[in-house]
Amino acid sequence: MSDLIAFRNPTEESPWARRLLIGTVVSILSLLLFAPLFVVFSEALSRGWMTAVESLGQRDAWQAIRLTLTVAAISVPMNAVFGLAAAWAITKFDFRGKAFLITLIDLPFSVSPVVAGLCLVLLLGANSTLGGMLVGAGVPIIFALPGVVLATVFVSFPFVARELIPVMIEQGRAEEEAALTLGASGWRVFRTVTLPNIRWALLYGVLLCNARAMGEFGAVAVVSGRIRGETATMPITIEMMYNEYLSVAAFTLAAVLALLALMTLALKSILEWYHADALAATRRH
Amino acid sequence: MPSMLIRRSAMPGFNLAMGITVTMLSVIVILPIMALLMRGLVWGPAEIWATVSSERVRGALFLSFRLSVLAALFNLVFGVMLAWILVRYRFPGKRLIDAAVDLPFALPTAVAGIALTTLYAPNGLFGGIAADMGLRIAYTQAGIFVALVFVGLPFVTRTVQPVIAEIEHEVEEASASLGASRLTTLRRVILPMLMPAALTGFALALARSVGEYGSVIFIAGNIPNRTEIAPLLIVIRLEEFNYNAAAAIGIAMLLISFLMLFAINLIQIWSRRRIGYV
Amino acid sequence: MHIQIEEIAKAYGTTAALHPVSLAIPSGALVALLGPSGSGKTTLLRILGGLEFPSSGRVLLEGADAAGLTVQERRAGFVFQSYALFRHMTVFENIAYGLRARSRLSRPPAGEITRRVTNLLELIQLPEIGGRYPSQLSGGQRQRVALARALAIEPRMLLLDEPFGALDARVRRELRAGLREIHDATGLTSIFVTHDQEEAMELADLVVVMSMGRIEQIGRPIDIRSNPATEFVREFVS
Repeated sequence: MSDLIAFRNPTEESPWARRLLIGTVVSILSLLLFAPLFVVFSEALSRGWMTAVESLGQRDAWQAIRLTLTVAAISVPMNAVFGLAAAWAITKFDFRGKAFLITLIDLPFSVSPVVAGLCLVLLLGANSTLGGMLVGAGVPIIFALPGVVLATVFVSFPFVARELIPVMIEQGRAEEEAALTLGASGWRVFRTVTLPNIRWALLYGVLLCNARAMGEFGAVAVVSGRIRGETATMPITIEMMYNEYLSVAAFTLAAVLALLALMTLALKSILEWYHADALAATRRH
Repeated sequence: MPSMLIRRSAMPGFNLAMGITVTMLSVIVILPIMALLMRGLVWGPAEIWATVSSERVRGALFLSFRLSVLAALFNLVFGVMLAWILVRYRFPGKRLIDAAVDLPFALPTAVAGIALTTLYAPNGLFGGIAADMGLRIAYTQAGIFVALVFVGLPFVTRTVQPVIAEIEHEVEEASASLGASRLTTLRRVILPMLMPAALTGFALALARSVGEYGSVIFIAGNIPNRTEIAPLLIVIRLEEFNYNAAAAIGIAMLLISFLMLFAINLIQIWSRRRIGYV
Repeated sequence: MHIQIEEIAKAYGTTAALHPVSLAIPSGALVALLGPSGSGKTTLLRILGGLEFPSSGRVLLEGADAAGLTVQERRAGFVFQSYALFRHMTVFENIAYGLRARSRLSRPPAGEITRRVTNLLELIQLPEIGGRYPSQLSGGQRQRVALARALAIEPRMLLLDEPFGALDARVRRELRAGLREIHDATGLTSIFVTHDQEEAMELADLVVVMSMGRIEQIGRPIDIRSNPATEFVREFVS
């Protein structure tokens, strides 16, 4: 039929414009995202699998991995508890200053990690009043594990709360109120009504929080003092190895973190595809 | 707990939840920031100003801010394009790209830093090509720009994507039926609708870039007054145990962050008042 | 403008939204496409407006085949069910949009645009609201602004998709009279889609009853009432 010629949907761009746009975007992404990711693995394996695996077995690398896992294991649950508490207070109650509280919770996202580390050093460093007392009592914070944990909690502070708040606002209070009228205790309501409703959003927040916690560099660099085996987390160790021209070792450790990042992204995508409804409010935020 | 301030509620757990929230917020975020501000106060505004306005510090702050603005502008344009094709077009690999957009959020900055440096150094894959054309990327301001673009990449895309998804088809059809070409519709109808979200993403990317450290220090070269960013200068001052100077620079950066936060809120209030959504 | 619809059909994949339908609409008529949801009335309207392309058949506008005309060239004043007002523009900017979107050569000068928009605001009896944003208007006001916006481009016909669908009963009756007045004042061939038989019967010169992608009956309201052609029509209009 001759009159079927070239009807273009009025809400679409022409095919060549689409191709041009897709081509441009994919090229830029290749230069900026895919190539760096590829380089991490290709550099790690540049001397073969054996060298890479051996470098992971060395003491520095091994201790860094253990330290990073320890820090994440402490700081992520802390942030999860905080996120749940903050979201509960903010979404289930009306009080003055709520908007200000939300702003404060978001604050760590707008503070440079280095400045965050600096703040902690000034509060708890050995030459501050408080820090001096703590060192005197035999509990050093800065240049020790507690400082690394505090810095990590600071930079990943808002993640869980931020994911939970929009979801819990959307779900309202009716279900909890219903459970209360049926005689359930407050704790029971939280466990049996609220938690099942927000579990995917919580997991999502924990995932992002964990990725940030394991990868934090700037804040930890400032508070850790870069002590091998004690405060040198994986990112810090990567920096030290890279500066010592231990390229394969640095990139192998980097590849481990990159794999973790890829796993995080995969899990995140799976959550978004299969639990889109439960996360809808989050995505719109 | 200021339970007097809340309206009476049948919901349990306010004191516990609020207690945890306020305690953790105070100990981890507010007290340390107060410590920074106190340090500045004790040292004196005049001294802070003298430090911040010295050539090297001023240069570093200006460099961080200027390159962050440039990188965020790049991401503003690129982020809108990326969001558009992810929502509107179908093409092979789309889901992969959609997932990969968040890579800069998930990939530790130190990893990104050494990877970008390896790629864009004169003996690297892309840096080599650039060197053949007489350009240097790594160890120059161009390198810092590349790192900051990487770090800020997801912000605009992620704020704009849901807005594009919610545009009613009928609005675009209305524009076409009134005689507007596709380009006119995109320019006069679609872009203005995306602007508030895009600007929010821009401000978020900017805030992130100004304070960025990990991905930049490897690629920057760190030459004072040329490629030395403000966060690095803080680290240097701390290593010299010059806490006062470090605090002064930190306060200046904090101020920039607050101004940025303020700007984000203004954008959102303004767009909500005008068009009833963000 | 005289509109001739010849054997128009539309299928989405394998499901037929419109079986071949034919219809002649005399110049200056006010026509209702009446039917339940899924009857194909909106699809037919969108084909007339150039928003959708028929699978087969053709539309003749004033005797000329419309197949080659894009939406932009068709100059059909289309009023959408959701009104589709541009939220970031004032009422004035909304109405002026079609004129300002024209190429530099055919665009009226700014003063002329202002004059026309002012006239249209008076025509819809809302002369004061030019500076407001759509979010600040009532439902009825939005509908009238959408109508004025469609009229601003000096359309060759007026196509309205459920123009009163989202309004409450009282506003509905008011605006019905308003549409009749505007139609009579402009003399435009106007076609509106509705599922409300009372609305169709009261307002239209000619009613086209549709069901399941087919035309059941075409006639004046009085003929359809007194002489329903099929069982479906009898039940639907009773």
